[in-house]
Amino acid sequence: MNRRNFLLGSAALLTACGKSSQKIRLALNWKPEPEFGPFYAAPYRKYGLDVEILPGGAGTPTIQMVGAGSAEFGIVSADELVVARSRGNDVAALFAVFQNNPQGIMVHASRKLTSIGDIFRHPGTVAMQRGLSYARLLEKMYGFDKVKIVPSPNGDVSAFLHDKNFAQQCFITSEPLIANRQGADVQVFPISDIGFNPYTDVMATSGELLRSKPEMVKPMVAAVREGLRIYLDDPKPTNVHMQQLNPTMPLDLFTETSEVQKPLIETEETRRDGLGVMTKERWETLIKQLKDLGDVEKAPAAEECFRSL
Amino acid sequence: MHALKPLTGVRGSEQSRGRKGPLLAAIPALVPFVVITSALELAVRGGLVRAYLVPAPSSVFRAMVESRGELMRAMLTTSASALLGFFLSTVAGIGIAVFLSSSRAIQRAFYPYAVFFQTVPLIAIAPLLVIWFGYGTRTVVASAFVVSIFPVIANTLTGILSTDPALRDLFRLYGASTLVTLFKLRFPAALPQILTGLRVASGLAVIGAIVGEFIGGQGLGSVVDIARTQQRVDKVFAAVLLASVLGLALFGLINLISYVTLRRWHASEQA
Repeated sequence: MNRRNFLLGSAALLTACGKSSQKIRLALNWKPEPEFGPFYAAPYRKYGLDVEILPGGAGTPTIQMVGAGSAEFGIVSADELVVARSRGNDVAALFAVFQNNPQGIMVHASRKLTSIGDIFRHPGTVAMQRGLSYARLLEKMYGFDKVKIVPSPNGDVSAFLHDKNFAQQCFITSEPLIANRQGADVQVFPISDIGFNPYTDVMATSGELLRSKPEMVKPMVAAVREGLRIYLDDPKPTNVHMQQLNPTMPLDLFTETSEVQKPLIETEETRRDGLGVMTKERWETLIKQLKDLGDVEKAPAAEECFRSL
Repeated sequence: MHALKPLTGVRGSEQSRGRKGPLLAAIPALVPFVVITSALELAVRGGLVRAYLVPAPSSVFRAMVESRGELMRAMLTTSASALLGFFLSTVAGIGIAVFLSSSRAIQRAFYPYAVFFQTVPLIAIAPLLVIWFGYGTRTVVASAFVVSIFPVIANTLTGILSTDPALRDLFRLYGASTLVTLFKLRFPAALPQILTGLRVASGLAVIGAIVGEFIGGQGLGSVVDIARTQQRVDKVFAAVLLASVLGLALFGLINLISYVTLRRWHASEQA
């Protein structure tokens, strides 16, 4: 009798545990930095969620992780998501932190270049990940005959500081600030200048999770949206928390970055339709650009790529 | 006499089996290859493994054929850098080991610094390598060199220091100079260990070259980097496979050298 009760009790306990607190994993594609502020600020508990944030590094394959189910949610970029879908990875975007793409190319201001095309018309070195769609778009538009393309140093600015004719891909909100602090006079050209402006810092999930656990996905989006509002209004407490997780980045740089990124996050559209909003038109533009570049053979439908929750 | 006869018979048949050639000898290695690739192919086609995580062997093969020009050029570049790095670490590694073996005091003073090469986290110093050596081949060769030199030093040193004391005494008795003892006794006696060091170093040199190419550009490393960004897992695997072929080729080269130099006197090549 005792034994039976014990077994029944344990079984009930196990079911209860399974129901109430399934740990949700959110995979980041970089270290804890201000771009992830909203995810660290989000009040998950309030929405009944138990979220574990997994910091990443250069090349963390978040999109594959989400597709394979080793993380329920992951941070990706819109272009990456379109390519993944075209290769059979069933993933969908839920929330876009950056409405305007924060990627750019930074150069030394002393070179007096006037446009992004200028970078490729003058001899010099450009550190850039050649596999990126925008890199090939730039190649198509301007050609790489005059410049030497070298691998991206993943956020390290030492080669840039060392060479006046060195240009490097960057997050407008990151490397230029670091290089400035080291005494360089930096000028940045955003990639959106050439009309390539995919949503970035996008939270995505798998189609399977969308179908099987809609009750998990919807509150997750709501929590992150609230997190973004909190972070925009008062980034300080979240910055202090993230700085403890990433002590190599000084706190004042966290503060500066969270200010610089604001205009890329809050735009006319978000004021009208809410933070994190995505439109079908912009996904369509992106898909067409990627198709023209040959990055996707079978273009996915725009409406499959994202959900508005 | 009678007891000897069957023995020679066995020897004879072993030799003839050996002569039957490399084709038969390759069969044991081919079996796991065929089994694993077919199993993987079936798993991917059957939907057990998702193709964007592990590609089907057939799609890797297709990627290899499609991008053969690019991959071959990349492989040649990587081979040249890996070979050069390996050559430099062989020469420098043996030289350093000979120097270290010259006295206990020198060994105590410098050996800890040699260990540095074994522990250096290449990725951490990568941006510096680029600043010191510039983008391109020199950085790649430096990277291959740094990661492959330590096993050469360590094995050569052990080899030189474990010369048979009786033979050393014999050389001393005949009044051989240090140099003569080094070249006629210690060095040849250390050859098996040196070659073991080179076998380990050859694989490391290929890894070092690929890592160097991640940061310095060009070659198979660059192909892997670009294909990974484009989510072309098939092409990543195609490039990785070619890197392994390169490693195998280097390993085979060392084995050949080993056979040529040791077959007359060392048990490891007489079996």
